[in-house]
Amino acid sequence: MQRSAEIEADVTIGVARELRLPARPSQLRVARDYAREVATAFGLDTQARYAFVYAVNEAVTNAIRHGAPDEQGLISLRVVVADGRLTLSVSDSGTFLVPPRDDAAIPERGRGFQMMASLVDEVHLSIESGGTTVSLSTARLGARTD
Amino acid sequence: MGSFYISEDVTRDGVAVLAAGGEIDYEASPQLRKSIAGHIKAGVGRLLLDLSSATFIDSTAIGVLVSSANALRESHDGSLAIVCPEENENVHRILEIAGLRGFIPVGHTRQEALSVLVPGG
Repeated sequence: MQRSAEIEADVTIGVARELRLPARPSQLRVARDYAREVATAFGLDTQARYAFVYAVNEAVTNAIRHGAPDEQGLISLRVVVADGRLTLSVSDSGTFLVPPRDDAAIPERGRGFQMMASLVDEVHLSIESGGTTVSLSTARLGARTD
Repeated sequence: MGSFYISEDVTRDGVAVLAAGGEIDYEASPQLRKSIAGHIKAGVGRLLLDLSSATFIDSTAIGVLVSSANALRESHDGSLAIVCPEENENVHRILEIAGLRGFIPVGHTRQEALSVLVPGG
């Protein structure tokens, strides 16, 4: 696990950092702690940080539930800071499963993606033969529009 | 960060009260589902979920709440209510973004939530 000082330096420079985790539910808290450290280093305020961590948790949860880890059983989290935006991408080796449409007014499943979109500035989904990547981007306070 | 826990109780009126605390994520939500299912199976028709000490509740846990509310309604014509104090802004915000407002009643105190489940009580 990177030390906070290391993360801070990298975030400022804008160098991509990667964390690879076993695709197991017990690792979700590790992913959240990592997202929290990254968000703090980037300078998100309390509310934005909570929202960012929540969104990352949703993306990692999706990778664990529906994705396929690589041959070592790992999924990857990559951080990039560029143009004042923080982007954390969660990648697995599987095909993103769009949940079956639940037309109930209050769906029982499939709200994770919708919540991600409500919590960060941008959500990008990339599905390729090699795997699925969900990227979550947010800007610092001041650059945000809400 | 707080780790997940559930504590369970039953009131004099037969309302099951579950207090779930810490971070309720995909690792924890199956346990929440199991606890609630146990009460429904035992014939409990009214259930109170106290989230006062919850710091985090993910979409899988929200899904558990929705399916539990539906199951209670269908099996016992019963209902589920949530307790979340005003100060717990994070969880309130999550419940709001998840679109639960109007579907599952949320009280700021146990008393408030119980009054929804046990009218006049």
